[in-house]
Amino acid sequence: MTAAAASEIVAPRHPVRAWSGIPVLLALLAGAFLLHIAVGAKQLPLGTVIEALTRFDPTVFDHVIVTNLRLPRAILAVVVGASLSLAGALMQGVTRNPLADPGLLGLTAGASFAVVMVTTFTGVTNMALVPWIAMAGALGAALVVYFIARFVPGGATPLSLTLSGAAISAFLGALISIAHLLGQDTFENLRVWLTGGLAGRDINLLWYVGPWIAIALAGGLALAPRVTVLAMGDEVAQGLGVRTGRLKVQLLAVVVVLTACSVALAGPLGFIGLVIPHVVRLYVGSDYRWIVPYAALTGAVYLLGVDIIARIAIPPREISTGIITAMVGAPLFVHLVRQRTR
Amino acid sequence: MRAATHARHLVLRSPRERVALRLPLRAMVVLGLLLVALLAIVSVSLATGSYGVALGDVLDTLRGATVSRAIDNVVWEFRFPRTLAAILVGAMMAMSGAALQNATRNGLADPSLVGVSQGAALAVVTLTVVFPDVSGNLRPWAAFAGATLVAMAVQGLSRTKQGGSTIRFILMGIGLSAFISSITSAMMTYGDIDRAMAALAWLAGSINAAGWHDVWTLLAWLAVLLPMLLAISRTMSALRFGEAAAVGLGAPVRLVRNLQLAVAVALAAIATSVVGPLGFVGLIAPHAAQRLAPAGMAMHLILTACIGALLVVLADLIGRAAFAPIQIPAGLLTALIGVPLFVVLLLRSRATTH
Repeated sequence: MTAAAASEIVAPRHPVRAWSGIPVLLALLAGAFLLHIAVGAKQLPLGTVIEALTRFDPTVFDHVIVTNLRLPRAILAVVVGASLSLAGALMQGVTRNPLADPGLLGLTAGASFAVVMVTTFTGVTNMALVPWIAMAGALGAALVVYFIARFVPGGATPLSLTLSGAAISAFLGALISIAHLLGQDTFENLRVWLTGGLAGRDINLLWYVGPWIAIALAGGLALAPRVTVLAMGDEVAQGLGVRTGRLKVQLLAVVVVLTACSVALAGPLGFIGLVIPHVVRLYVGSDYRWIVPYAALTGAVYLLGVDIIARIAIPPREISTGIITAMVGAPLFVHLVRQRTR
Repeated sequence: MRAATHARHLVLRSPRERVALRLPLRAMVVLGLLLVALLAIVSVSLATGSYGVALGDVLDTLRGATVSRAIDNVVWEFRFPRTLAAILVGAMMAMSGAALQNATRNGLADPSLVGVSQGAALAVVTLTVVFPDVSGNLRPWAAFAGATLVAMAVQGLSRTKQGGSTIRFILMGIGLSAFISSITSAMMTYGDIDRAMAALAWLAGSINAAGWHDVWTLLAWLAVLLPMLLAISRTMSALRFGEAAAVGLGAPVRLVRNLQLAVAVALAAIATSVVGPLGFVGLIAPHAAQRLAPAGMAMHLILTACIGALLVVLADLIGRAAFAPIQIPAGLLTALIGVPLFVVLLLRSRATTH
């Protein structure tokens, strides 16, 4: 294949259309962000929210609600939603596997397991260590899942990878539950580490995790053009001068960092990395230069929206956020498997 | 299958050979050993706990003698029904797995992997949360209805033009399980928190709340379902060779397969309604039975049931004794054994992936 032919495939079919979504998404993000802050046990008018964000007055009670309670949670939703969907998009590109998702392939379970084990049994409380622990867990789980699938007759196909990921997740999930029982931890905490949630998370962790996420997001954007080429096949990519081995390692690092940091912040929220890239692709096609920024923005809007629903669906209680992402994502998963195995 | 035809048999003949019993030797020996092991673990289980009881006292109590009021109470009211429930639930889950694996010709099938247990769990949680006043006797029926719906959905979704594929079937089950579990969790959030906490222990597959009432429920259903399963076991063995061969052998394949699925779903649903979705027993037991003593279908089912019972009693015992006073639900421990086995089976599976 000549370089010219390849660039034709790589180029977005509708450059104008591809650009057009970004401002829309940014506007949606801003709207969802404000709405997320305004909605809750005490409804705040949007005017008050904007006022609290721009001209903060510590004597006004509503302003304190916004900055102390609502704003951290909204920021978490944005960061985690963007990270997980970007991780999913990159995984789908590099493995050419439409079923790839940090949750389905065991990465989130690995990160969650590592954090739970270390915090329950060693008493490590240093927050700076948490991202490292989560990264080690995510990477370990990813490798185990890959090697199991590798030796399944037929090789590491999307389906064998998913089965292997499900097995590892089930195993680690049982261990997490046992650790929680032994540590006599609360049910709320257990639920965060099994299904993920945004309620009552410690925002201070963001100071330690945020820089990592920023680096990984930048890395994802920088690698995106080459992911498009890689998605066409290893041989095509090599023919076009991409060093595929090195690129894959770099992408794995980005995915592991994004996943591990998200899990450290909000637990293993499922299916976000599966759903968002598929939705985004409907609009921008298969060019990862667009898929990557779109996935990050859409993921942030999506998790904000899900979290709004989680908080208002059955007042006065709150559904754990991870429950809703699974409720939305699992049917799409079933649909994709059906398509895949027709 | 292969070994079943080669196994040595002990043939008992009546005078003039009117009746003959052909007993697979190895399977009989294994069955005997399993029963001895089961008895041993049951006795240990009855004696172990926060209130220690000497083994001799347990046996005396079971024979009807009153050693002391406290021992009487502990053994008869708490430990004995709990252990019996563990035995019954283990046997039912195991046979459900064997029947599912045979009906779907899928060695990876397990009621908790294909969503059947989760369907039963959702139905039970819905019943307890939304209609808290409804009698507990409806639980097994609700569980059965929920499990049947999910089983039908999985079957329908995984059917292709070329017939079902192994991996697709399991993946459908995993997807549906995730979906159903999320609804169950949401249901529990909606419900009263005390109720939800009780449901939570139950959802992890815990036997600690089982009492005599549960034992009778399990026994009643088993008394109906076990004969049905044994009655169709002959045709089930024909199905082991594949649908075409079974039709060629004159087996009413369609009827038997549907019946088998129904019994499998019912067994899993009833067991689930009592102790919650106890994972992987239905996966482990049939494979262990096949390894220990390959045998004809009826014998295979009996061995499977014994192994399942042994597994759950053991898991329950370890779960409550190992880290006392903290109790680990049996379902978590069976998952720890089951997942590695699942991986091994996956690695050995024929290349049906693509």
